[in-house]
Amino acid sequence: MNIHELLKTTAQSDKKKALPILSFPAAQKLNVTVEQLVKNSELQAKAMETIANDTDTIAAVSLMDLSVEAEAFGANIRFSEDEVPAIIGQLVSDEDEANALTVPSLESGRALVCAEGIRLAKQRITDKPVLAGMIGPFSLAGRLMDVTEIMYICYDEPETVHTVLEKATSYLIGYGKAMKLAGADGIMMAEPLAGILSPDMAEEFSVPYVKRIIEALQDENFALIYHNCGNSVLSMLDNIFSQGAAAYHFGNAVDMEAVMQKAPCDIICMGNIDPVEFFAQGTPESITQATKELLHKCSHYKNFIPSSGCDIPAHAKWENIDAFFAAL
Amino acid sequence: MLLKEISAQLQAGKAKIVKELVQQAINEGIAAEDILEKGLLDGMNIIGEKFKKNEVFVPEVLVAARAMNQGAMLLKPILAESGVEAKGRVCIGTVEGDLHDIGKNLVKMMLEGKGFEVVDLGTDVPAKKFIETAVEENCQIICCSALLTTTVDVMADVVKAAEDAGVRDKIKIMIGGAPVTQEYCDKIGADAYTIDAASAADMAVNLL
Repeated sequence: MNIHELLKTTAQSDKKKALPILSFPAAQKLNVTVEQLVKNSELQAKAMETIANDTDTIAAVSLMDLSVEAEAFGANIRFSEDEVPAIIGQLVSDEDEANALTVPSLESGRALVCAEGIRLAKQRITDKPVLAGMIGPFSLAGRLMDVTEIMYICYDEPETVHTVLEKATSYLIGYGKAMKLAGADGIMMAEPLAGILSPDMAEEFSVPYVKRIIEALQDENFALIYHNCGNSVLSMLDNIFSQGAAAYHFGNAVDMEAVMQKAPCDIICMGNIDPVEFFAQGTPESITQATKELLHKCSHYKNFIPSSGCDIPAHAKWENIDAFFAAL
Repeated sequence: MLLKEISAQLQAGKAKIVKELVQQAINEGIAAEDILEKGLLDGMNIIGEKFKKNEVFVPEVLVAARAMNQGAMLLKPILAESGVEAKGRVCIGTVEGDLHDIGKNLVKMMLEGKGFEVVDLGTDVPAKKFIETAVEENCQIICCSALLTTTVDVMADVVKAAEDAGVRDKIKIMIGGAPVTQEYCDKIGADAYTIDAASAADMAVNLL
């Protein structure tokens, strides 16, 4: 069954299975730090294999490490033992710097480490699809221009932002092709920064670029899943769904039932158990209740797949993760 | 009319026009306090209410706040000379180990929109730094932000540092951020937890 068929079958099923964004907690089982994980292909493959074997997720998802691409462009990065790496500083602040920005090769930074992790994972995981992780274009541009400053520059010098977005999109298409070549069945593309924009701004600064990436990469055997955990998505669902992804993943800042009420019945939507409140800080009882409530509201939709609201933190409790799957 | 125009242009994020109109208002002899309250803060309050209802979004708040600050800069020396003080002083930062700042920046702007003076400590701020700054700058409120679950416990250290410095009864401590909850606020003995930037600004007013 290919990835598109799997997503459709899962959504249509009366007894739902889940596709949470679950990767970093494997570090606990492998007894490695997050820093070790994000820098090592073999560990990334082992992490995906561990999740695939130890849970009932419908697909293995690679790390949602939203620093790889910005690092490749030359942004400063701070690694942490137990947290996802953080991009610091502002690489591009004006038109001159945007024009001077070069699209890096895949040899820059850790992109090929991640692609190799996918290749190794694909050799070992034979009963589930393997999904690579990648950042979206506006979220990448935000990391290059500072996530607050880009908002001002969108108003003051929109063409500067578009210059950066063109280069970000070009890089992401190349990176996505590398993941495809490595054997990935699809990509989970995270565009969270677009989720705090107004609908008009998202339509200008995110949607066209996301569409180009999806058109360049998606085919009948390769799926792009669009992730946006921002709180303004409900006001821009038409724009979001126009992007042509195979499925759409939403966060806990929105009411999933409200999303399902507005989503066309042939568009697969996923979400949205709070990864912090329930997976990390909750109890088996609280996450069970939250999952059952989500199912009560949404499982009758034939285009819904249960999931986490976002990336599950590395230190989330495995008893809670297990309870989530058991509650389905 | 001119003050309403200042408010409207602020809401539209037109910093240059706001600055020009504020100067015009000063030139026309309108009291600085009125320009501030009925022009600038009026506009920011409207933006704040719209933000709460998802009628405007983060970028609109940011550019409106920038317009407000540009206008407020012209009023500052006049207000200081006539002895008009800010509603209060707040020091704000993202806690040690955490580099996320957009939420913190929004709270800062909403606080300024309510008439507070805000000392921004930036990100990765150790607990003691919050207390030292609050004491040095005569802040009535400390606001701590965190996005990472692994850094939240620094907020407990801030409360303890305030107690150790003997200023806990003089300084209110507010906390917020994705991994923060009311339950955690109660557990560590902070004074308030708020779910978003607009609520934080309202809470700060209530705490004084």
